[in-house]
Amino acid sequence: MQLEYTERQQAFRAEVREWLAAHVPADPLITLECREGYDQHVGWERTLASGNWGMVTWPERFGGRGLDLIEWLIFEEEYWGAGAPLRANQNGIFLLGPTIMEYGTEEQKARFLTPMAQGEVIWAQAWSEPNAGSDLAAIASKARREGDHYVLEGQKTWSSRAAFADWGFGIFRTDPESSRHNGLTFILFDLNSPGITRRPIRQLHGHPGFAELFFDEVRVPVENRLGGEGEGWKIAMATAGFERGLMLRSPGRFQATARRLVELYRQLGDRASPAAREAVVQAWGAAQAYAYNTYSVAAKIMAGGRIGAEASLNKIFWSQLDRSMHRTAMQLLGAQAELRTLLNGQPNDWLEGYIFSLSGPIYAGSNEIQRNITAERLLGLPRQGAG
Amino acid sequence: MDCNLSVDQQLLAESVRDFLVDTHGPEMLRKLDAGDARDPAIWDGLVGMGLTGLLVPEEQGGLGMGLVEAAAIARECGRICLAEPLVDTAFVAVPWLAAKGETDELARIAAGERRVSLPHSINPWVADGDGEALESVDPLRRLVTAPADATDDPLLLDLAALMSAAQMIGLAEAMLDQATEYAKVRRQFGQPIGGFQAVKHQLADCAVAIEFAMPVVWRAAEALHNRRASASVHVSHAKLAATDAAIATAETAIQVHGAMGYTYEVDLHFWMKRVWALSGAWGDRAFHYRRIEDAVVGGTLPIGPEHSFA
Repeated sequence: MQLEYTERQQAFRAEVREWLAAHVPADPLITLECREGYDQHVGWERTLASGNWGMVTWPERFGGRGLDLIEWLIFEEEYWGAGAPLRANQNGIFLLGPTIMEYGTEEQKARFLTPMAQGEVIWAQAWSEPNAGSDLAAIASKARREGDHYVLEGQKTWSSRAAFADWGFGIFRTDPESSRHNGLTFILFDLNSPGITRRPIRQLHGHPGFAELFFDEVRVPVENRLGGEGEGWKIAMATAGFERGLMLRSPGRFQATARRLVELYRQLGDRASPAAREAVVQAWGAAQAYAYNTYSVAAKIMAGGRIGAEASLNKIFWSQLDRSMHRTAMQLLGAQAELRTLLNGQPNDWLEGYIFSLSGPIYAGSNEIQRNITAERLLGLPRQGAG
Repeated sequence: MDCNLSVDQQLLAESVRDFLVDTHGPEMLRKLDAGDARDPAIWDGLVGMGLTGLLVPEEQGGLGMGLVEAAAIARECGRICLAEPLVDTAFVAVPWLAAKGETDELARIAAGERRVSLPHSINPWVADGDGEALESVDPLRRLVTAPADATDDPLLLDLAALMSAAQMIGLAEAMLDQATEYAKVRRQFGQPIGGFQAVKHQLADCAVAIEFAMPVVWRAAEALHNRRASASVHVSHAKLAATDAAIATAETAIQVHGAMGYTYEVDLHFWMKRVWALSGAWGDRAFHYRRIEDAVVGGTLPIGPEHSFA
């Protein structure tokens, strides 16, 4: 238990803060779920890269700064505290990047990581299929080996960023005789390859957001396979671990939301119900608890530990927290909550945020799946239907 | 920057856990319940482990440790539902007396010759004191009416609220363990009930609640140990988070036990009743909630992503 930042960490925080103050766009960007907003956000990724802030924990040779996880948390705290834009490339830097670092060949690392950190290639994830959502092992899309290529056939859906991104990653069935978790292979593909059709899906907020992907005889060179043939499930689970665990949702994001909620309460609290008032205080507490827990996990990883099924606890906690905070804000706003633009002329970010927060308990493995994982792997309860 | 207990702190807590599991199992709770709730042999064992002197300075014959170590051990006391007044005496009264400069009694406390009961104006009772008896729902708790001139000292309140929170973490962990083990062996519809999602998801939610309450308790212990200006807010946060986790786990644990959980025969009730008692003791939910609200909404505590450790 040592809760002091070092001088070096404090100096780093000051450096991040100074750079962000000079570079974060004064006007909020348009939502990245539409073409124009997406382009703005990609532009912001390039700005970040110009300051070498793309992914601070990566080695310098891959466009990073070689910093540790505590410094990453400090960066994220300052990032969200400064109100900087959402990361267009989060699928790349937070999910695929660490996976390539662990399972990729040296050639793949050299080829993919630096453009990822620098925002030159934006990545979409392609896990789900129409009949393989929570039951991801039901994947039916195939990758048929032909010489030094795989030929992709099938359909993916609800692919985040896929409406506009450059590249995608997902798992495909390479062994046609296989079922469930076996015979799957992790493949990276250019979304502009001949044979790929993207059909953007209009999301709850009205913007295209994610997309369906149709694969019709899509030829992908074998060197785009991550890990061995048939190892796809294991590698995908590692990626999902990064997603649910430390990386995807750092505490700074929720602490920033909690602070905005407290500020909203200060403005509107005189008409708040006792339940809403308590929810505001609970939001601060839960965001703090999430921060302590994340710092704790970071220190364990830095000491050589790994995140296992504990990542599921995280995912349940932050997704419920985010939804609860936005729900409370909607209650505080009262009749204004339905307005796209508030009466003071400001865009109703709470409404957009509430809509987005409803996806939190669903994406990255629904919270029902996370509760199964928690119960079975952490508590040791039997699998559903087992004897 | 490290929010975890150190290896030494973990080893210390584990050694206490092993000792308590060996000497203070559920059969001991039943025996104490059938008798008068206290057993000199248990106290002597705690003294023998050096626990009464944990926070007593070395010059007074103690181990000279700090509130983080004490909180880690208070959690273990909760886990086995310890009845003896170790936490009140050694982890609340000792640091309070030491902070006031009243060191005369510390050597006797460390030696196990003196137990200290602590009246405070926030409680209508005194635990393990002398006076007119009050009956607690917790059969192992011994309460008497509080004196009219009890102190309102805020440090005493913070110390006791922190240690109550730490005990509730252990109480919650023990109840989750009991419910989980029961769900593995109780069979209905031809399978262990723990295989049903309706059961396992409730237990998973308890695991989440405990996972995110625990670091709040360690944080509060660190803040109070170092007498940080924000310590009272963090103590209240810890009390609130631990109470909510423990109450939710208690309700889930009895639900998972079904009708068995409603019987006196299943030991779960000892832990559950201790949670009910501690949740209202040393500042109830409304009190601690209000202290947080005053600081967070009132603006005396800096909040936001860059202030995780304010």
